Amino acid sequence: MSFLSHLISGISLGSIYAIIALGYTMVYGIAKMLNFAHGDVIMVGAYSCFFLMSRFHLPVIVGVVAAMLVCTLLGVTIERLAYKPLRAAPALAVLITAIGVSYFLQNAALLLWTSNPKVFPSIAGNTSIKLLGGQLSISPTALLSIASCIVIMVALTWFTSSTRMGKAMRACSEDKGAAQLMGINVNVTISMVFAIGSALAAIAGILLCSAYPTLTPTTGSMPGIKAFTAAVFGGIGSIPGAMIGGILLGIIEIFGKAYISTQLSDAIVFLVLIIVLLVRPAGILGKTVQEKV
Amino acid sequence: MLTVTDLNVYYGAIHAVKGISLEVNEGEIVTLIGANGAGKSTTLQTISGLLRPRTGTVTFLGEPITNLPAHKRVERGLAQVPEGRRIFLSMTVAENLEMGAYSQRGADTASGMEQVFTLFPRLQERRKQIAGTLSGGEQQMLAMGRSLMSRPKLLMLDEPSMGLAPILVEQIFSTIVEMNRAGTTILLVEQNAQMALSVAGRAYVLETGQIVMQGNARELSGNEEVKKAYLGG
Ligand SMILES: Nc1ncnc2c1ncn2[C@@H]1O[C@H](COP(=O)(O)OP(=O)(O)O)[C@@H](O)[C@H]1O
Ligand SMILES: [Mg+2]
Repeated sequence: MSFLSHLISGISLGSIYAIIALGYTMVYGIAKMLNFAHGDVIMVGAYSCFFLMSRFHLPVIVGVVAAMLVCTLLGVTIERLAYKPLRAAPALAVLITAIGVSYFLQNAALLLWTSNPKVFPSIAGNTSIKLLGGQLSISPTALLSIASCIVIMVALTWFTSSTRMGKAMRACSEDKGAAQLMGINVNVTISMVFAIGSALAAIAGILLCSAYPTLTPTTGSMPGIKAFTAAVFGGIGSIPGAMIGGILLGIIEIFGKAYISTQLSDAIVFLVLIIVLLVRPAGILGKTVQEKV
Repeated sequence: MLTVTDLNVYYGAIHAVKGISLEVNEGEIVTLIGANGAGKSTTLQTISGLLRPRTGTVTFLGEPITNLPAHKRVERGLAQVPEGRRIFLSMTVAENLEMGAYSQRGADTASGMEQVFTLFPRLQERRKQIAGTLSGGEQQMLAMGRSLMSRPKLLMLDEPSMGLAPILVEQIFSTIVEMNRAGTTILLVEQNAQMALSVAGRAYVLETGQIVMQGNARELSGNEEVKKAYLGG
């Protein structure tokens, strides 16, 4: 029974990683950059929700939607101010800028909300669901995380395969010049991707803090790095890859904690990443498109 | 229809296009020929807006578009089939065509596709196929069909014959003539000067970023210098 319960915890944590990894992978897909600050957008999302719910006693759904709006605005602004001027710059300059943005967000949060940890109440409540005659207990946060992940996956798949904007996004990811020649406004499309990724980051931040209630200005860092790992693991640039990578990473982490060592669980996660990349450098679903002549 | 005046384009310190002026009138097929590296693609990309000139102007349908972003030029009826085709390899044939109609904002994509399929029946058979799995010739057809989806007034083609077998080259060129008869003005860039001169009305010869000769295509193909340099004798 404990196996099943660990598996569910793993999938639920993995769902959160997957939602974060989507932001990394979509931004990488279109802007070919690692948005190192993505993890900190998660933290801002969690704080926004916490602040609105605790200060103004707004209902959960209002808090969540408002946090998504805050993060969307933040993500688009970061892109516009910090990354857009560097479109033609070397990758290293962009990466350093992204790390700078990350520190900026953490320090801004420190100023605004201090370093005192906030205790984040789970938005899903605390009544566990008992299954199999009470032998298996599932937290409502775990269920909500898994459900959110599924809904987001379905919605994003539909968006990228069936909408005009979604297809334009794929076109830009593949060839920005050719996309422009089709009449696609590449800048607007990139902003759109940052908006979606950041809104998802808000959801992930709220779910994360619902599962692990301590909220500090550095809350987003480690999950951010792990979700980035998940995105690379699944094949960076691939949406299903981010999903699979995230969920596998969550399962590996929880199983590592349960059956091997609590202290080593993070090391195990990264060890698995290294092994996967040695065997498949492009990640699980990463592909190298061959050009035909 | 299109007037380019004294265009100078640089890549950093490299002066790739040196004071080019050219003109395309409605209904014409005009060709720009020249050796590899002469600056043909740079010129086309500056007209389509992917590159910005340091000096000079581009006027389309009587209005200056030198500073207009590339995606807005498509809306005005200026389309380009880029060198190397650059179709979206991971998307299906139909999705590529839909992207071609992006500037039309969804208006009448179906009838546009019908027209493309009439011109290229092969694409209809393969419309659900991933573009990356098409043969080179089919990819060129797709690249051309995709550009037609924006219903261009002026279509610029950059080396449509590149890498294709002679029989396919014939087919591509006869399609270009067909598109022109249907009302699309054509600016054609080619290294295959013989083919280009045989379909064009007028031609410009480009050498190291400058226009060195221009005039009636038939006269140019009889010119000794052109024969020697571009027609293999
Ligand atoms: N992206 C680039 N960066 C630097 N130089 C370039 C670039 N593209 C083209 N060039 C140079 O500009 C000149 C013209 O190139 P191009 O317009 O591609 O010629 P063509 O299409 O006639 O073969 C060449 O000398 C080429 O090396
Ligand atoms: Mg060229």
